[in-house]
Amino acid sequence: MTAATAPAATGGWTPARVLKVLLLLALLVLVPPLSDNPYVTTIFISALMFGLFGAIYDLMIGFCGLINFGYAGFIAAGAYGSALASFHFGISPWFGLLIGGAVAAVMGFLTGIITLRLRGLYLGLTTWFVAEALRFTISNTPEYTRGVLGLAVEPFPDLFGISFARGNLLTYYYLLLVLGAVIMIVMQLLVSSRIGLAFKAIREDELAAQSLALDTTRYKLLNFTVASFLTGVVGAYYAHYLGILSPTPEEFGVPRTVEILTIAYVGGRGSLWGALFAGFLLIGFQEYFRELEAWRLVMFGALLIVIMLFAPKGLAGLRRHLW
Amino acid sequence: MALEVRNLVVGYTREVPILRGVELTARDGLVTVVIGPNGAGKSTLLRAIYGYLRPSEGDILHDGRSIRGLSPHRMLEEGIGLLLQGRSIFPAMTVEENLELGGWIIRRDRARLRRAFEEVYARFPVLRERRHDPAGALSGGQQRMLELARITMTGPRTLLLDEPSVGLMPRLVDEVYDEISKLKGEKFTILMVDQNVKKAIEIADFVYVLNLGENSHQGPVEEFRHRLEDIVREWL
Amino acid sequence: MDWTMLADPLILSELVFQGLVRGSMYALMGIGLSLIFGILGIVNFAHGEQFMIGTYVMYFVAAVLGLPFAVGILFAAVALFLAGMAIERGLIEPLRRRAGRDWLVDSFVLTIGLMVILQNLAQIVFGTRRRGITELVPGSLELAGITVTYERLVIFLTAVLIVALLFLFIKYTALGKAIRATAQHAEAAQTLGIDIGRIYTIGFGLGAALAGVAGALLISIFPAFPTVGYQPVLKSFAVVIIGGLGNIPGAIAAGYLLGVIEAYAIFFLSAGWQAVLTPLLIVLVLIIRPQGLFTAQGERP
Repeated sequence: MTAATAPAATGGWTPARVLKVLLLLALLVLVPPLSDNPYVTTIFISALMFGLFGAIYDLMIGFCGLINFGYAGFIAAGAYGSALASFHFGISPWFGLLIGGAVAAVMGFLTGIITLRLRGLYLGLTTWFVAEALRFTISNTPEYTRGVLGLAVEPFPDLFGISFARGNLLTYYYLLLVLGAVIMIVMQLLVSSRIGLAFKAIREDELAAQSLALDTTRYKLLNFTVASFLTGVVGAYYAHYLGILSPTPEEFGVPRTVEILTIAYVGGRGSLWGALFAGFLLIGFQEYFRELEAWRLVMFGALLIVIMLFAPKGLAGLRRHLW
Repeated sequence: MALEVRNLVVGYTREVPILRGVELTARDGLVTVVIGPNGAGKSTLLRAIYGYLRPSEGDILHDGRSIRGLSPHRMLEEGIGLLLQGRSIFPAMTVEENLELGGWIIRRDRARLRRAFEEVYARFPVLRERRHDPAGALSGGQQRMLELARITMTGPRTLLLDEPSVGLMPRLVDEVYDEISKLKGEKFTILMVDQNVKKAIEIADFVYVLNLGENSHQGPVEEFRHRLEDIVREWL
Repeated sequence: MDWTMLADPLILSELVFQGLVRGSMYALMGIGLSLIFGILGIVNFAHGEQFMIGTYVMYFVAAVLGLPFAVGILFAAVALFLAGMAIERGLIEPLRRRAGRDWLVDSFVLTIGLMVILQNLAQIVFGTRRRGITELVPGSLELAGITVTYERLVIFLTAVLIVALLFLFIKYTALGKAIRATAQHAEAAQTLGIDIGRIYTIGFGLGAALAGVAGALLISIFPAFPTVGYQPVLKSFAVVIIGGLGNIPGAIAAGYLLGVIEAYAIFFLSAGWQAVLTPLLIVLVLIIRPQGLFTAQGERP
């Protein structure tokens, strides 16, 4: 059963629904400035960013059944791609967003070309290896990347008179909101299109899809490359927002991938907006239980298992009750 | 060793039953054949009897005892053997190892196992010849023989045969059916499903016709020999 | 880099031996993973954590309780066998029953969750301190001109022994045959009276036990700490891909091959770059021969 990805796909726009959407949008836009608390803003930025990563991850696993176990490596590709471009070549971080996207997209494309013709399992394992290889390469070339010492990344330069200096958290938040909106809309359009239909067919039954003359490899490659590109863009944003990059596992290794994977699963496979929602839920939850730092990942792991065994459709499965 | 199926309702999902209240009796010592168009549920019937599927309604009785809900690996103990559809040998193991596994539930009774081997080798000399070859290297017909030999190792008196002739050349189909005739001669209770209606009818004692998951016709084989064409036409 | 060293037979043999020792671990881990995949059809991401638990068991048995090395191996084997069976019964079997088509991906994710939980629980319970045993067996001997520590020799020979025992078990015992039968055609095995649910449980236990034994065996190289399983599991997946998924002899061959290649790589390249080598190797294998180097042609990857 496929969970619908947007209100418009099931039931349509009832007045109650429109109100709910507007309320959520209002919360998204107004809570950070009204709270007048930079801490709240950083949480919102984290939540939104991880929600976006989760949604993009869901584009791959939820719509095409592609499991990416090296996802954090793709974020690294975008982050370091843009950071190094500005560090070594003085390229503007604004352009760096595209560069980050491009680097990650190339990585995705090449990985895809090699493994998408094989069983899905191989994609998962290969992306893992590729991500680790990237991380180690970054660590081993401190002359270029500063390795584990940390690469300082400049903030976004002023745009239209708006300052993006480090302290302007609200500005960064709204920038992410804009970026996020564009990305979500792009993905939504993609999955609602005929291409999206092909994705779903592949996820449901690849053999059947192939017998309908669907070049499944091509569509999987498209899905994977687009998702990689979008990941790279957000990754680039992350670099310039964070200000410092270091190729540790927590940042760009398996723990990071697992966090995002969990968000996608909790949100429900096949539901982009569910992942976004789950991002807020999990990051908020995590902040609330800050002291239990060590248990954070244990909870993620437990959540994953619980979802797999008891609620495979994630939050999207509860949609009818909430939405 | 009669096998009875009463009002069986089975499906792969609850909402979509494939069998809707099927009634059937495989009489003791006779060959009962189930024929029907594709999708009629013939294989589903055998799989349900053998425990691969849980019926939502109805019962299955073997010798008067209900076997509904028993797990597939308990069936041989019950005295019921199943010949799966398609290739079911263990390709990377030798013929002898395959047969040894056929005797899995009697593996501790060395004497009985030895006797079973002797019987099987006497019946299928080609298996004795090739007993050290990997089973995957055997021809299609020989593999079928191996599969039949395997399920008879522990002496079950009731046999379920799921499409024994599928995938085989006509000459081999005859060979397989020769073996089944021999089993019939030894008074096994056989419940068989086969697409090859003509061959199946030749060997049958009793016939059931299944269509769209329900009983359509049934009766002793004499009633069917001449009506075959009409019945098959109904399915098209 | 002095490439002439490559021709020095002393260094060569030294490296080969180092490689065989590393390879022993890779082979044991690879077999465990391949076994689980071959029998249950699932990918076990918690394999590294099963290795990790083995290291802690050995540490407590040998360093804390002062019992002999062999006892540690035994304890690790038993502990992980039981734990593995519990995991299969408690988590994997329920998943198998409810999942349908998505079985492989779902099991992937389930074991990922398990990996995360075990790793972080270990961190909470044991802390990040590395607990190692530097030398289980003191002394060394001269063999063909190179110095071979008894330590490494014991590791290598024990691994070989375990692999041999496993081989004998799988090939000649009734249970071993039942396991092979289930791996080759589970449904047919059922028709012969084999309880495949029990086989799955035992199979997973066996795979976990192999990982635990590998961890226990290699405590002098890999001390006990919560994330120690990461490199081993990365490498065992590499081994399994190179050897062919579900191919046990392939896993053995690939394990030793990888071990030797890495020994050379560490010596001639820096340690950091050696970590990049393995992924590159995998990519190469996947491009050229995705079914694995040691799998018969014609098996679909």
